[in-house]
Amino acid sequence: MPPLSILIWLPAACGLLGALVQAVASRGGRVSASSTDGPRWTAPGLAALIGSLGALGLAIAYVADYSPSGGGLRYVTDVVWISELGIHYKLGIDGLNVFLVALTALLFAAAVLAVNLRSAPRLERPSLFYFHLMLAESAVLGAFLAQDLALFVAFFDLMLIPFYFLVGGWGREPGRVRATIKLVIYTLVGSLLMLAAAIATGVLASQRGGGHITFVLSTLQSMPLSRGSQEWIFLLFAAAFLVKMPAFPLHGWMPDGYRAMPIEVLTVFSGVLAKVGAYGFLRIALPLYPQAAVHFQTLMLVIGLASILYGSLLAFTHTDTRLIVGYSSMAQLGFITLGIFALNPQGAQGALLQMVNHGLVVAAILFIVAVLARRAGGSEDLRDMGGMAFRAPVLAALFLIVALATLAMPGSSNFVGEFLILLGVFKAKLAIAIVAFTGVVMASVYALRLFIRAMHNRPGRQVQSREMTLRDGAVLVPLVGVILFLAIYPQLPLHRSERSATAAVASASHSSAPGSSAVAASSRPTSLSPASARLISRAAPAPPPGCHRSGPKLSCSVEFKVPLR
Amino acid sequence: MSATTYAWLVLLFPLAGTLVTALGFRWLPALAPRAPGWVATGAIFLAFLSALGALLALQSHVPEHRQMTSSLWDYAVTVGIDARVSILVDPLSVFMILIVTGVSTLIHLYSVSYMEGDRGFSRYFSYLNFFVFSMLLLVLAGNFLLLIVGWAFVGAASYLLISFWYRRTTATRAGIKAFVINVVGDVGLVLGTYFIFKHTGTLEFQKAFQATAHGAFGFAPNNGDLVAGCVLLLVGAFAKSAQIPLHTWLPDAMEGPTPVSALIHAATMVTAGVYLIARMHPLFERAPAAQDVGAVVGAVTLVIAATIALVQSDIKRVIAYSTMSQIGYMIMGVSVGAYAAGLFHLMTHAFFKALLFMAAGSVIGAMAGEQSLDRMGGFRRALPFTYGCFVIGGLALAGIPPFSGFFSKDEILLVTGERGGWHWALYVAGYLAALLTAIYTFRMIFRAFHGDPVPEARELEEGHQHHADVPRNPATGEAEDTDVGFPGPNHPIAERAMPMRVAMSILALGSIGLGLLQIPQVDSVIDDFLRPSFGDSSLYATHTRNGLLVLGLILGAVLGLTGIAIAYRVWVARPGTAAVIRARVRPLYELLVHKWYFDELIDLIVVRPAAWAGRFARDTFERLFVDDTLVGGTTGLVRVGSAAVRAAQSGFVRYYVALLVLGVTGVGFYFLLQS
Amino acid sequence: MSIAWYLAVSAIVFALGVLGVITRRNPLVVLLCLELMLNGGNLALIAFARMWGNGDGQILALVVMTVAACEVCIGLGMIVAIYRRRLPIDVDELRELQG
Repeated sequence: MPPLSILIWLPAACGLLGALVQAVASRGGRVSASSTDGPRWTAPGLAALIGSLGALGLAIAYVADYSPSGGGLRYVTDVVWISELGIHYKLGIDGLNVFLVALTALLFAAAVLAVNLRSAPRLERPSLFYFHLMLAESAVLGAFLAQDLALFVAFFDLMLIPFYFLVGGWGREPGRVRATIKLVIYTLVGSLLMLAAAIATGVLASQRGGGHITFVLSTLQSMPLSRGSQEWIFLLFAAAFLVKMPAFPLHGWMPDGYRAMPIEVLTVFSGVLAKVGAYGFLRIALPLYPQAAVHFQTLMLVIGLASILYGSLLAFTHTDTRLIVGYSSMAQLGFITLGIFALNPQGAQGALLQMVNHGLVVAAILFIVAVLARRAGGSEDLRDMGGMAFRAPVLAALFLIVALATLAMPGSSNFVGEFLILLGVFKAKLAIAIVAFTGVVMASVYALRLFIRAMHNRPGRQVQSREMTLRDGAVLVPLVGVILFLAIYPQLPLHRSERSATAAVASASHSSAPGSSAVAASSRPTSLSPASARLISRAAPAPPPGCHRSGPKLSCSVEFKVPLR
Repeated sequence: MSATTYAWLVLLFPLAGTLVTALGFRWLPALAPRAPGWVATGAIFLAFLSALGALLALQSHVPEHRQMTSSLWDYAVTVGIDARVSILVDPLSVFMILIVTGVSTLIHLYSVSYMEGDRGFSRYFSYLNFFVFSMLLLVLAGNFLLLIVGWAFVGAASYLLISFWYRRTTATRAGIKAFVINVVGDVGLVLGTYFIFKHTGTLEFQKAFQATAHGAFGFAPNNGDLVAGCVLLLVGAFAKSAQIPLHTWLPDAMEGPTPVSALIHAATMVTAGVYLIARMHPLFERAPAAQDVGAVVGAVTLVIAATIALVQSDIKRVIAYSTMSQIGYMIMGVSVGAYAAGLFHLMTHAFFKALLFMAAGSVIGAMAGEQSLDRMGGFRRALPFTYGCFVIGGLALAGIPPFSGFFSKDEILLVTGERGGWHWALYVAGYLAALLTAIYTFRMIFRAFHGDPVPEARELEEGHQHHADVPRNPATGEAEDTDVGFPGPNHPIAERAMPMRVAMSILALGSIGLGLLQIPQVDSVIDDFLRPSFGDSSLYATHTRNGLLVLGLILGAVLGLTGIAIAYRVWVARPGTAAVIRARVRPLYELLVHKWYFDELIDLIVVRPAAWAGRFARDTFERLFVDDTLVGGTTGLVRVGSAAVRAAQSGFVRYYVALLVLGVTGVGFYFLLQS
Repeated sequence: MSIAWYLAVSAIVFALGVLGVITRRNPLVVLLCLELMLNGGNLALIAFARMWGNGDGQILALVVMTVAACEVCIGLGMIVAIYRRRLPIDVDELRELQG
């Protein structure tokens, strides 16, 4: 397999190349001034498409090549970057990020394709736009692949820059400036807190370890901090990640941001960037600060729950379709937070699967919103829509599939994710799981309301019911295809991520047990799949007290009583 | 081929039918106008044949080996859960797939004519095939996760078909109501599954049942978690089977096309709750408290629904409440251990209720979409065939011997009575409702078919069908949308279309004759067939008390006939009696007409608070707290801070110089003092 | 003679220059005062050079004088340019940098 750096930097390189070609071409006076209504293929657009498709191809190759049985990092690139500070340029793929990388590549490819195929309004300053979009892709991929804390922070901040320009330069009026400023302030504050936390982690860990300062995640993990410093550092990281997701009550930037962003930018923003926050918890916060994660478990669960309830309530109250999608994402990310902070393998697995699912679904639904707006006289308000299913059966069918996936109907991959998440929470905190189920019911209300009020009922005043075009289909059909495929075979991501997800929460679920790690092994759920069962049997060859072996299965009387504090 | 192979085929054909009719929505009708209908019907018929194959293959095994599982691929096998795409083929599931595919074939056949000319002909059949696929998935599922998938799929199919005429706001509202209440049921099912999984550690039915038998929940009855799990499963069952208090969607669901009401909201989907309790009997039998909950709710539902059916004037709603009431019998039956009786009633009910709906559809077609009994009358001569079918269905529903409903209903009540103790209250409630059933059934028949013919009936007698000039939705009065279609004008009446006649005739024969499968003391086909599925049950016993048996049979027949006599006296012999009674018991009448105010109650305690909270969050909380306090606070802080810093940037160069000098001097002094 | 005297003179000259830069509003006078400050520095440099007995300080003083000459050129050029654009010749009026 080619090194991961190629995957990361290919999009940015293509974006730059496209811009250069365009600059040279326009100097030669070959700027095309055609005013046809169809898509206008520009050099930067094509270059970006090639770059994003190339990244997608690479990402799929990594997914295919990643063998689920081998644990740990694979395809590792490890170069010393700043030796004085112990910062490495270390990249790697494991079960946690392999599907998120694929999701990123897929959504960016879809967004680039959508911008290329868009006929109106015409894209201004295409070179710059595509360059920023591609730089954003590189940054996101880098954030997912980074295995060094400082590198992660660097990529995390790098993500913000292109989006600042994309919102500020190509955003919709009114509220463009306001949205940009809010977005930047919120995420920048989060980033700075995270930077401070990252530095503190490196310094404190080296002090305790007595060695050189380092930021490599795997090394840091073997040098745990004291409980007190874990706690405040964890809070700083949590603030940065929760802003990114966004979670209640740190979602202040979200409504304006969602309204202002160009829809293609919004798809990647909502589909991918939000996941970086959730991914950060699994990659960094839980393994490095396990005791703090246990300490703040209830707080984080309550934040997740509040996001679910609040997001759902607003999602079925608003009439702006973008805001409905925005608040519903907030609710979905609340579920993901719940899954992560269930601090058991089921929750983590569910959260990971749900990150992929939500990315796919939210991108599809935002593209559909764009299609709907073109049929409702440009309005994105539900009150101007209605009755569009007539003469548009294919659009209606795709929308229906996506809407049902959004509400996590059993049979969709989202349901498997939610099932695992809620099972994890059920085991950790029963009461929170029961309240979270009201979010499931409310999801059915807002998703169906969106579908019905757009597609069914009486037609709105300016609604023209017509089938979606081939261009819309070229973007939507592959996305819906992936959604359907995952609905039929969710085992594909589940199988590949099982070991990593279990490992990510392992230290947190261990430190939740009162005694040493040897005792903690017995607090794990016992009916694990063969892979995790092997992990356990390797760690504890003799069955812990309270357990007995019957055949290949290990069963314990302390089963599922995850002792928390 | 083995039984499991046949079972996979049973699933495959409807799925293929769905895809063909959905993807071929352009070229299939171009081939022949009714092609989608025939493709869909053929697919279901092939599934029915496969189900017969499964039955034969299953019967070739000895009874002890009539439970088979088979799985295709791993669905979610990770971190402790073991969900595969697996099916469980045993007499219970084969019994269910035979009913589902059999009745569905007839209803598809009926629909080919009934929906002819509707704008959404292809769409209708692809939904209908999808429904059958989902229902078969539900009954064949071999683990909890797949059961939940099938469970939700039938809910989705039901939603799609309820809001089939999607430009009617009443239809879309009814659809979302049905869907959301069904999601509540799904949630119950999922939570119940968690409670069971927590102790058994598996999602596979058979492993979970074995673990339960081996003491996963301890050996004493009524383990707390098991009761919680079973009650939550019951929530799922109640939502799907329209039991109180999750029943309000079913009457509204009558917005869908009439064959849909016949198939989904009478014959198959709503009986899923009965199937669920029967399937989970190894769990329920260790949680008698949950069983009691099921029995009581079933009994309450069957009485309340029967009372509401007495006063409703919409013909389809009367049948819908009657469905609720009959499912109440089944739920009560399977909850007290009368598994075979409950499933037997499920089968006979599927036939006679589908027949009643089809006949009602025929009348509604003749009335050009009008469903109110108040406007009907005298269709006896205009629709003789329909009249015959309606009466057969009505007699079976009212439990008149020797029609099928007589035997199945009495068997449920017999087992209930045999349990003794407080179950006698259920027994009495069951017979009370039987009397009411006979009254409301024949009230419907007498009001629609007897009396003076209404203009529509006269027109029909002269040979042409009535059409309204400007079609209006009778519920709201809004003009119908002719783009998408609506019930009525395009839907031909039963008398003329051969496929509809064939379907109704077969169902009528079933309604008359199916009771003969299990006549007390004579034969027990159903009992014997289902026995392997309930081999581990302690309640699956034969009846011994002949005295009770005879009493029950006589009581059932007498009550049924009494009910018909009362209905005859009130609505035929002395018309006007109804108004007198109504005036005398005004408050009771109001209560029944408003369906015991369940809709209003749910609106008050669930819908309104949620809507209010949503508005509060959007208009007040989001603005005051999130936007003003948090966002405004943050930006305000930044603004105040920057104002302070900005004041230093006066633009006076000398000011800067002075600062510079001061700073340098300060630093210099600092080092001087240090040294 | 003790180096302290030289340094005292240098400090006085420098302080006068600072005072002028801070208080005067005419850019021409400000430039002159700047020169005064530079020369104060030069004086100190030369005094130290003499104290150590090598030429480093003198070389640095020459460099400073060169820079000062360049600076005066640019400063005078700017003043002329401002005058030509009929802007007020007053440093307090030229405060575009205000935050």
